[in-house]
Amino acid sequence: MVMSFFSKREGGLDHIVSRAVGMLGDARHSFDLATLALLTNTDTAAVQADIRDTDQRINHMEQQLRSELVVHVTVQGSSDIGSVLGMILLLKKIERIGDQATNVLDLAESGVRLAGETDTEAMLAERGLISTMFGEAADLLAEPNDGRTEEFATRILALVAEHQAKIESYLHSDRPGREVVPRAIYYRYLKRIVANLLGIVRTAAGPLPSSTTEEDDKDD
Amino acid sequence: MVVAAPERPTRFDMPTWMRSALVFGLIYTFLVGVSALEKGIKIMGEETQERLFSSVSNPIAGLCVGILGTVLVQSSSASTSVIVGLVATKGISVDAAIPMIMGANIGTTVTNTLVSLGHIRQPAEFKRAFAAATVHDFFNVMAVAVLLPLELMTGTISKTATWISDRLVGTAGSEWKSPVKAWVKKPVELIVDIEGAVGLSGNVLGTFVVLTGLIIVLLALTFITKNMRTLVADRVEKSVNTVLSKGSGSVAMLLGLVITIAVQSSSITTSILIPLTAAGVLSLRNAYPVTLGANVGTTITALLAALAASVPEALTVGLAHTTFNVMGIGVLYVLPFARDVPVRLAEGLAEIAVKRRVWAVAYVMTTFIILPLIGVALLR
Repeated sequence: MVMSFFSKREGGLDHIVSRAVGMLGDARHSFDLATLALLTNTDTAAVQADIRDTDQRINHMEQQLRSELVVHVTVQGSSDIGSVLGMILLLKKIERIGDQATNVLDLAESGVRLAGETDTEAMLAERGLISTMFGEAADLLAEPNDGRTEEFATRILALVAEHQAKIESYLHSDRPGREVVPRAIYYRYLKRIVANLLGIVRTAAGPLPSSTTEEDDKDD
Repeated sequence: MVVAAPERPTRFDMPTWMRSALVFGLIYTFLVGVSALEKGIKIMGEETQERLFSSVSNPIAGLCVGILGTVLVQSSSASTSVIVGLVATKGISVDAAIPMIMGANIGTTVTNTLVSLGHIRQPAEFKRAFAAATVHDFFNVMAVAVLLPLELMTGTISKTATWISDRLVGTAGSEWKSPVKAWVKKPVELIVDIEGAVGLSGNVLGTFVVLTGLIIVLLALTFITKNMRTLVADRVEKSVNTVLSKGSGSVAMLLGLVITIAVQSSSITTSILIPLTAAGVLSLRNAYPVTLGANVGTTITALLAALAASVPEALTVGLAHTTFNVMGIGVLYVLPFARDVPVRLAEGLAEIAVKRRVWAVAYVMTTFIILPLIGVALLR
């Protein structure tokens, strides 16, 4: 362990980004399992331990990386404080996705089952789409690209609007509560998850909004 | 770096090879400074030397001079290098130098204690930071309390250091043909010639050469530390993370040693720990062994300075510094019943300081300035 001083493994923010990509992979794993439990006849008992362990691993990693960011600022000074603040925000968003995946599991564990319903196929297709978005977000976190980020943002915002419309339609639906309430809650979680994915990608592209000063000769 | 950083003005980043070459140049300059110091005192003559250094013949006065000198220059590396230079002139003996070296160990802890005062406005942070800073103070004071009487009674430290030194460069009293001494001879002669050419001679010339040497030593050490910190920052970061994640006490101590040797300053190592402890990222018990490693690591500078000296006694003093710190760890850290004492004392003092912050300032003033001044005034 003393040899860590002499080792050539990557350090600093590069190391933290690669660990954050790993955390995002874990969050995707939790999301896939939790939605599988809710949308299919998968036994929740078979997946719940895996999801909760993964969530704990994400939480633990978030705390560890936050400590490493404090070490980074202490040792390296404040020259990349903007990136450090961005990373703290980004890690928090990944940690929240882990929590939201656990919330989906909680829904399944409370007895809600959306398998074999008329809209199940559509929900499973949407689940697959969101799962691939985790992969895209991980790619953009590792290799930020302005053009791809904007294209990703457009798709995410359309999906968020779609989720919001569905939530509102369930809230005002005349269908029985046992049908619409679980769906409204589920789409609320999905909306938060995809919004956090967008937040991660945008924070990676530019951690802080830039401020501009007004020109001196501009009229008040 | 992957996360996009906000735009900032471009600045010149020196290539690593250039910075490394600069560090080697600065180490050479540092050795020139030590040698100039030795030369200047030799120019003053034996009578002046006797008058100058008779005040430190009392070990407690020597200890206090070591504390004050180190607080003044905020670097035990600088003060111990000067002590090595003084021993090389035979102005002071190894026995008289050892209490001064111990004082330098105490004096160097003032830097991280001052850093901890920066957190004084946030009570919870300040409590942790002040405890992390003063655990180093308590350890060093306790090490002196145990080892100085032992040294005065038995000469354990000086005998051990002399034994090692004899095996490395020969017995005391002989002339050691240090190759470094030959490399730095020309620039030192140039300093003497330049200052002699403006009409200086005798004690005045000696004083000016000593002052020039001091300035060179301080500047060279400052820039060595600054450049080394930049060169090894990534490695320091990785090492601190290792201490945080899975480091045992001995690993933390070894990393403190390695980091301090790399940056040539225990103050840098210990001052890094203060904000981390204040933020709650590092616990006091995790930070404590790192400071002990830093204590040993900082002795490398005095050993380096001894390379520019012409007598084995200079190396003996450098080795005495290392021996003292290693023995301190042996007595106060390896022995389980003693290990927790500095930690508990530091926590107790932090508890008091956070309730009445004026006590924190009073503690710094008393320990590092008032008591040593009284000691020098009464005992010289």
